[in-house]
Amino acid sequence: MEAYIYNLVNLIAIYAILAVTLNFIMGYAGIYSLAHAVFFGLGAYVAAWVALHVHPSIFVTLAAAMASAAALSLLLALPALRVRGEYFVAASLGLQVLAVTVFSEWKSFTGGIGGVLAIPPADVFGVEVFKPQHFAIVSLIALIVVIGLINALVHSSFGRNLRAIRDSESAAASFGKNVPMIKTLSVVISAALAAVAGALYASYMSFINVESFTLDTSVLVMAMVIIGGTGTVAGPIVGAALLMLLPSAISWIDFLPQTEVGALQQIIYGLGMTLLMIFRPGGIVGRRAGV
Amino acid sequence: MTRTSPALGEPLMQIRKLDKSFGGVKAVQDVSLDLRAGIVTTLVGPNGAGKTTFFNLITGNLARDSGQVTWLGQDTAGLKPYRLARAGVGRTYQDLRLFDGMSVWENVLNATEHGAFPMPMSRAHRRGRRERMEHVLERTGLIDKRHTRAIDLAYAERKFLSMARIMATEARLWLLDEPASGLDPNSYERFLTILREDVAGGVTVCIIEHNLDIVVGISDRIAFLDRGKLLADGDPKTVLNDPELARIYFGDRA
Repeated sequence: MEAYIYNLVNLIAIYAILAVTLNFIMGYAGIYSLAHAVFFGLGAYVAAWVALHVHPSIFVTLAAAMASAAALSLLLALPALRVRGEYFVAASLGLQVLAVTVFSEWKSFTGGIGGVLAIPPADVFGVEVFKPQHFAIVSLIALIVVIGLINALVHSSFGRNLRAIRDSESAAASFGKNVPMIKTLSVVISAALAAVAGALYASYMSFINVESFTLDTSVLVMAMVIIGGTGTVAGPIVGAALLMLLPSAISWIDFLPQTEVGALQQIIYGLGMTLLMIFRPGGIVGRRAGV
Repeated sequence: MTRTSPALGEPLMQIRKLDKSFGGVKAVQDVSLDLRAGIVTTLVGPNGAGKTTFFNLITGNLARDSGQVTWLGQDTAGLKPYRLARAGVGRTYQDLRLFDGMSVWENVLNATEHGAFPMPMSRAHRRGRRERMEHVLERTGLIDKRHTRAIDLAYAERKFLSMARIMATEARLWLLDEPASGLDPNSYERFLTILREDVAGGVTVCIIEHNLDIVVGISDRIAFLDRGKLLADGDPKTVLNDPELARIYFGDRA
């Protein structure tokens, strides 16, 4: 029971990191990316490879994961500089589809569909962290650091520049903003921090495969952001917790046959999201409609 | 705030033989104009005359087909709009383009911030900036609305926020695209006061305006554009009393 709860804590923390970093570009820069799972996956694969072949220290795996995601994110920044809104969504969707293919086919690095097995547990200052309750400390610290970093950025001139660009790119440029530079930086920061979630996920699960990094994950993370409240600090965390707890909450309803849980979950997701957008388009934490 | 050199009347921006076509339509043709320090130049002309296109060309928002624009003696060819903005060319937009999701204060604060990275700033510098911004908001009548989001402002307040943003910058040339259109008489007086004070403080202004009261009240010079061509450029009385221009402007043209 205890391990079960700590397992949830870890998964919520990891998905909250994804939601917070996606919200950074969605809510502040207006860049709607459906490719966030690409950086989650890349972070996980790189961390796994480094842990297996170089060193299992969490600081080494994290650094490698972040660096590779930052580099690959330039691929996403390229369309973000040229197109906005729905056009960028389409471009990011393309990157996501492409990445899933690479993840499934590049067998020497990702293990193909079979995935990567026996990833060493995280090594923190020489201590192997593999129990969920111990790993929860690591994942929560990571979440707090990521939230702190994003928060500091959002409330600085950088965050104001992002929001200015979201509201009017041309006006932002007229006030001296180097729009392409600021947008690129925001995408790089978001991707590098999403890779932190990937690295944690790889060492926590000790097994990863492409199933965790598909379009479904990107959509799920986007749903967390929207349901919690796009452009708010607490929203993505609330959204991540809610969507991760929902399946467990439903499985506690004991008169339900286990085979129906999946279908019921889908119905609750769908209904909840539709009703929320009608009555609270700003999300749970966001502004009410018409305010 | 002091804005020094070049001397009054010296050209800050020189525009030579500017050309721009959209498809087969010549939006701006062979326009040459000097924007001189401390002088208010008003661009008048019928709708579609190419006035806003002219602004977009000299700020680099649009690429020009041919012609030259120099700023403080430097050719601006290939210069990105944000570079020119940092060099001291400020502009407003006819459709305002406020940062709607941000408060009045954040809109003005952001106008003063250039760099991509947050820079450490001394306490004195910070205080100086805050006082400048408060002064700007008092002059534009927005000081009590400083925490209101731009999108929640009334029409005239939005126009003044657009002015407040440019007032907070260090820009020495203001390109204003119909800043006073639709203002009630009180707001309009406030606008004229702001403009006169800042021009006296050393700002150079080029303004697109339809209201002839404003044109007469504020202009040192009038440039008359029609169908992309500069038809006249001179002191207000001469230009406005030209019967041919009046006919084009008030339109009994077939």
